[in-house]
Amino acid sequence: MEFDWLFFFEVTLAGLGSGALLALTALAFVLIYKATKVVNLAIGEMLMVGAYLFFSFAAGFGLPVWLAIPLALIGGGLLGAIVERTIIRPMLGESAISVFMVTIGLGSVLVGLVEIVWGAAPTQLPDFMGTTPLFIGAAYVSRKIAIGFAVASIVIAAFVLAFRFWRGGVALRATATDQGAAYSCGIDVPKVFSAAWIVAGVAAAGAGILVGAVGGISPTMGVFGLSALVVVIVGGLDSIAGALVGGLIVGLVEAWSGTFIGGEYKLLATFGLLLIILMVRPYGLFGTVEIERL
Amino acid sequence: MTITRRQALAAGIAAGGLAAGIRPGLAQANEIVIAGSIPLTGVFAFAGIGINDGLSDYVKLVNEAGGIAGRKVRYVYEDTAYKVDQSVAVFNKLTGSNAVNFYYSDSTGFAKTINPELNRKGSMIMAGASFATELNDAKAYPNQFIAGPDYSDMISVLLTYIAKTQPGAKIALVNSDTEFGRDPIATTEAMAKKLGLTIAEKIVTPPTSVDVSTEVLKLRRANPDYTIFHGYVLAPLPEFMTQAKQLGLKTKFMGTFWSMDNSLWAKVGEAANGFMGVMPYRYYFDEDAKAPMLAKIRQMRPEYVSTAYMQGFLTAMLFCEAGKRCLDAKQEMTATNLKAALNSIKDFDTGGLIGAPITITGNSIPVGRVYQYDAARKVMVGQGDWINVSKPS
Repeated sequence: MEFDWLFFFEVTLAGLGSGALLALTALAFVLIYKATKVVNLAIGEMLMVGAYLFFSFAAGFGLPVWLAIPLALIGGGLLGAIVERTIIRPMLGESAISVFMVTIGLGSVLVGLVEIVWGAAPTQLPDFMGTTPLFIGAAYVSRKIAIGFAVASIVIAAFVLAFRFWRGGVALRATATDQGAAYSCGIDVPKVFSAAWIVAGVAAAGAGILVGAVGGISPTMGVFGLSALVVVIVGGLDSIAGALVGGLIVGLVEAWSGTFIGGEYKLLATFGLLLIILMVRPYGLFGTVEIERL
Repeated sequence: MTITRRQALAAGIAAGGLAAGIRPGLAQANEIVIAGSIPLTGVFAFAGIGINDGLSDYVKLVNEAGGIAGRKVRYVYEDTAYKVDQSVAVFNKLTGSNAVNFYYSDSTGFAKTINPELNRKGSMIMAGASFATELNDAKAYPNQFIAGPDYSDMISVLLTYIAKTQPGAKIALVNSDTEFGRDPIATTEAMAKKLGLTIAEKIVTPPTSVDVSTEVLKLRRANPDYTIFHGYVLAPLPEFMTQAKQLGLKTKFMGTFWSMDNSLWAKVGEAANGFMGVMPYRYYFDEDAKAPMLAKIRQMRPEYVSTAYMQGFLTAMLFCEAGKRCLDAKQEMTATNLKAALNSIKDFDTGGLIGAPITITGNSIPVGRVYQYDAARKVMVGQGDWINVSKPS
């Protein structure tokens, strides 16, 4: 049977699109880990809160989308700030595993809060992206996925540039490299911590709006964060470029395996990739190589 | 005789223990207990809340009418968060502190896990939120039943409808990669063959999947007349339907019970228009035929209640009917007698909750009706008559 190249191209585009959504969520993971060395397992739930905030502003209060989106992003940033000041900062100096466990608990608390405030039933976000199909040549691309890809690409490019050229980005990199040295250079390390959580909260809320627009919202949508965890492990826990490349790779692997082997093998392929990466480059494709001597 | 302080304390403890010991016995004589592992939080909470309301409301109605053969019905429950281990703990707690006659289970996993213990106890029968085909086996699950058709029967209703509406139609199956989703695949293929229908494509999606673009591309190439979803509640059905419509596909989309709640589709808007599926119960607003029990529900709850509520309500009704038949026959309320009483239900009128008289010969009620969503009116509208897919015995 002749290979259908158009179909392959369409599947590849879909994979890249959904990979970009994963990359955006992974970005929130990376921002926090890079600055504070905390693996935040509640990122998926922070994403969910962002999506619900948008739902409230757009559907509940009937605000226009151009206003509802920034408000939801601000809400996500506020959530990041509150979590950092009330939960994470008091944990400074505690072991990494303790902080990690706290973020797991935080995830459960956020799910509970969403169920109390918005209820447990799944629902849809108001359509704000339109439904006209997009074609690249003869190849079909889902409109929402194409928009998600464009937004994720712009946001990630902006972060890469900010870390390279912006003073705040440089301060964050300095803090990540050596906290003591950063202090001695006059960098306000606690402020950097707060900034990282706020920006990660904004990124997570943005990802939540995009993910919710594609797949609907429910208190269980935070599980999407687990896929993003695979992305950051593949790309490197502390690499923004790694989040992008990891997201695209995982998106492609999922799309190709799901289409050509079967949907039941999608997760198997993803976690197979994770195992291979962990064996070959345990710090990820672009992560910092840390050498520990006993 | 002088009683020392130590003797008085011992007597007190003994008396307290005796009182605690005889309490369940007294309770058993005077009341009927329905206990429940209810998922009030977690992934199935949207249904658990409705189920809980349905069970509570029917128990309230029965008690207001004087109970069953003079006995009051008591409903006790705890949240399980839809986790099997938590559900087992709740079962042990509730059955350990109450003389339970009927038990509501929250999942297929729990129903299968607890089955040996249920059989060992021999004191209660169980029904619940699972419509798993596996549970519809009176030999393997003698003390359980399903308050509706099993998942394979639901698909049979849909295929029967399709075969009648469009003979020889091409069908695509979309199933989630979960025990729930995979349940009816094999029987669907066999049933389709028997009815002269073609399965043009089988698509399986992981449970965590958000984007379904690649699956829609597969559907586009198969170009089926009907697409049957199973193993989902809402997502990713709306996105599937939106993208398929964008691509100009003419396929009609269908679902099974847990994706048929009217309020879920009302939030989807225009994209939901034309979605069809199988329903074992009438909708809250359905006024097609005389339904006194639905009228009572509307009186108790002036706002729309979900399909999950109907499921809980009917389950409580069948529990109570089995209890009533058992007591009327002056039999002890054991699991065997209660199940036999349940299986004596023949051409039973549910007060309109199901649009046809029901007969429970085995572990299920293999009856359903196809409904279609009308986005303009925001309601599910009945299509054709109720379809009975009971197998000839």
